Amino acid sequence: MSTDAIASQAPVEINIRGLSKWFGAHQVLKDMSTEVHLGEAVVVIGPSGSGKTTFLRCINLLEQFEEGEIWIGGEAIGYLADPRTGRRTSRSERDIARMRAQVGMVFQSFNLFPHMTALKNVALGPVRVNGMRRDEAEALAVSLLARVGLADKKDAMPAQLSGGQQQRVAIARALAMRPKAMLFDEVTSALDPELVGEVLDVMRQLVQEGMTMVIVTHEMAFARAFAHKVLFMADGELLEHGPPAQLFGDPKTARLQAFLKRFKEGYQL
Amino acid sequence: MFEILLASIPLLIRGTWITLILTFSSALLATLFGLVVASAQLFGGIVPRIIAEAYLYIVRGVPLLVLLFAMYYALPYAGIDLDPMSGGALVIGLYFAAFMAEVFRGAVLAVPNGQWEAARTIGLRTPRILADIILPQALRVAGPPYINTVIMLVKGTSLVSIIGLADVTFVGRQIVERTLAPFEVFGGVAVIYFIICFALSRCGAYLERRTSFVH
Repeated sequence: MSTDAIASQAPVEINIRGLSKWFGAHQVLKDMSTEVHLGEAVVVIGPSGSGKTTFLRCINLLEQFEEGEIWIGGEAIGYLADPRTGRRTSRSERDIARMRAQVGMVFQSFNLFPHMTALKNVALGPVRVNGMRRDEAEALAVSLLARVGLADKKDAMPAQLSGGQQQRVAIARALAMRPKAMLFDEVTSALDPELVGEVLDVMRQLVQEGMTMVIVTHEMAFARAFAHKVLFMADGELLEHGPPAQLFGDPKTARLQAFLKRFKEGYQL
Repeated sequence: MFEILLASIPLLIRGTWITLILTFSSALLATLFGLVVASAQLFGGIVPRIIAEAYLYIVRGVPLLVLLFAMYYALPYAGIDLDPMSGGALVIGLYFAAFMAEVFRGAVLAVPNGQWEAARTIGLRTPRILADIILPQALRVAGPPYINTVIMLVKGTSLVSIIGLADVTFVGRQIVERTLAPFEVFGGVAVIYFIICFALSRCGAYLERRTSFVH
């Protein structure tokens, strides 16, 4: 697969080769290959059920995959392939945990730990996984909460925060692990419309700071404005990819044309 | 009439004490063994899971009284002779462990899967996730049904009076046989059970308030 013009000079941070996954007899990912360069923001779009979320979850090994390889920062994640036989074996839980820690993930439903304050949510990973001293981790958490605009909410419990605030804490929690890349799984879909903006603002800021990101979203305006590359998926296949201007301006496949058309009409019905 | 009850108070107190000791020891056993069974079901391999399931089915399908009789009458033939207190605590503990296991297992499963996933994505591993994320939430879920099961257990202990352990029910029956005042004596016994169970309920409600995530 050819690399795209934007950011193609930067090294490849996430390299996905021939990724296939089945749920029983149903193939949900079909031989997907793509690259995400360092500092690149890649947005994945497509109709529901197209496998976008599953694709994202594979990158962080929340889903197992049957075929293909995913390399992050030069390390194959999840499986070790025997070079002679090609047989795959699962890595140990310790290895998988270490690799997961290097990739941040933000979920549609926030998944904050409800029994901990915002500060503790953010500081937990650095303390438990990176062995950071608690005071250091809490200082880091305070600075990250400030970065997502929630310095004054550090002692709030998740239930006391709005959806948008919870999602920003979740972003800070992922950033606290100083990840090589961040994955966003429809992070604004569960939010009230007036709260979407504050979360997208934080993501825009991350794009501008050069965080490597893979973003599954239905926010087409965001994809158009801030993505370096857009992937269009349908029925588990990567049908089109390229800079946003190309995909949104000149869609090649009938599926993407229909998808974008439905999207434009959606709000006028 | 009232004197009858007054005169039997010291005996009833002794019986209550036995009931409390039996309750405490069997509840402790039920809790610990319930945790073992729930862990086997949740995290065990196929063999521990089958054993745990079989245990639950057997216990659910046999009345507690039958198990007490089996312990009291049948075990001596097998060369195992337990005094009524240890035997009673053992049988009641193992019996209610099955219900405790369901309480614990349900509570762990009640924590949304997203909590596991969020914890995994920051690189935590299973024992740590359990300790830091899942159990604090599960314990809160388990609280009310746990107290409920302990209350059932308190009332279940009254069955040991049939195998000759002098708990408060046994003492009550003895007093009635001597005084022929069943209404007053059993009324008193009922009040004693009620007080124990009511206290447990209140403790449960208090803990529920205390462990709420938002104060």
